[in-house]
Amino acid sequence: MIILGKADQVMFESLRVTVTDAAAPVLDVLSRPLAALADLATRARRLVGVYQDNDRLVEENERLIGWQQAALKLASENAQLRDLLKLAPEPTATYLTARVIANSGGAYVRSLMVYAGSENGVSRGQAAVTGEGLIGRVSEVGSRAARILLVTDLNSRVPVVVQGSRQRALLAGDNSDRPCLRYLDSGAAIRIGDRIVTSGQGGVFPPGLPVGVVASLDGEAPRVEPYAELSRVEYLRIVDYGLADGLPKPIPVGARGGRRAERSADGQQSRR
Amino acid sequence: MKAIAAPARQSGDNPAARLLPIATTLLAMIISIQPAYIPGYASVAPAFTLMAVYHWTIYRPKLLPPLSLFLIGVTQDLLTGALPGVSALVMLLARTVVLRLRRHFINRSFPFVWTGFTMLTGGAMLLLWTVLCLLDRVVIDFRGTVFRAVLTVSVFPAASFMLGRTQRTLMSTG
Repeated sequence: MIILGKADQVMFESLRVTVTDAAAPVLDVLSRPLAALADLATRARRLVGVYQDNDRLVEENERLIGWQQAALKLASENAQLRDLLKLAPEPTATYLTARVIANSGGAYVRSLMVYAGSENGVSRGQAAVTGEGLIGRVSEVGSRAARILLVTDLNSRVPVVVQGSRQRALLAGDNSDRPCLRYLDSGAAIRIGDRIVTSGQGGVFPPGLPVGVVASLDGEAPRVEPYAELSRVEYLRIVDYGLADGLPKPIPVGARGGRRAERSADGQQSRR
Repeated sequence: MKAIAAPARQSGDNPAARLLPIATTLLAMIISIQPAYIPGYASVAPAFTLMAVYHWTIYRPKLLPPLSLFLIGVTQDLLTGALPGVSALVMLLARTVVLRLRRHFINRSFPFVWTGFTMLTGGAMLLLWTVLCLLDRVVIDFRGTVFRAVLTVSVFPAASFMLGRTQRTLMSTG
């Protein structure tokens, strides 16, 4: 069964989606007490530091008002320049907020299950983000629930770019908390603290989604600390940029020729 | 200190109580995939199902048949996104090993039972790591496995106490 699951991912994906859909309402109900407890703990922790937080936020608000003015000025300038260049407008994103009802519970898979599925407009390949940044992508969709493959998972590969130097790389998960940057130029000057954002290559994610910062340069490849705290995500936003069709489905076993080739990677009929 | 569980009795339990081993193992599976909102928890979440398998295989092996373990294991894999069958394999092997040695654990002191569970956890985690490394053809960071094993062994006394109390309350008077 294990070997079959490894070999024929299509068959097990439909089984997995069915089981996930059936279990989603139960998991949703069962996860609520823990969520309420976690919420209570967060409130208690915030209560302790309410005065310091208030002082910090007042000071930060003053600073942000200045930035808001700058942003408004830049936005208007940007709109004028785009108009001058006749730049094609980027697709507008639509958001859907979903609650996390289960995690992968182990050291070998990094994924989350959310209580929103195709009925709510979720489809494969959509980006999953929190307020801090990208956390993963939708890898399986049922009618009521969907699985989010986190950027830290062994099978996750996200094309990214180092902000500032614009060096391209692939953010590869390895089941550790910090995914690594692969395929960087050998002479690339990269420093701890460099911001990593999506590059938009491959057409799955839009460019410019914040992912994390370079946290260490030891070993073979630089490691990236994601902005989002992946273990503490209670709600996440699934973002539809109209790009999700770019993600191919798993190719069925033996679909190299003959009749099975009719089921091509994107699910469309191939030419005879 | 004696282990809290009552001596093994296979008959006399009422029909609802006979479902207790399967129900608690299923519950353990659900608990193990619950989001805990604790940083880093997901990767080191204790293997609660292993605790249930160990406990019930010692005290009520006939009420936790291999087929139920297989189904619970496969469901866990399907829900977590793991390779289907991996958890079932580990749980069934754990059951086989414990079943062979169960006479040594019945009515023994808790530290002895705990030591047995520690060895079982070590073996199960090592097996799981080896299988997944072979299937993914990469060397997965072993530290997560070690932390998970340590956390599983640490949580076992509380889980064993609860399972034992439930067993005594619902099953021993039947």
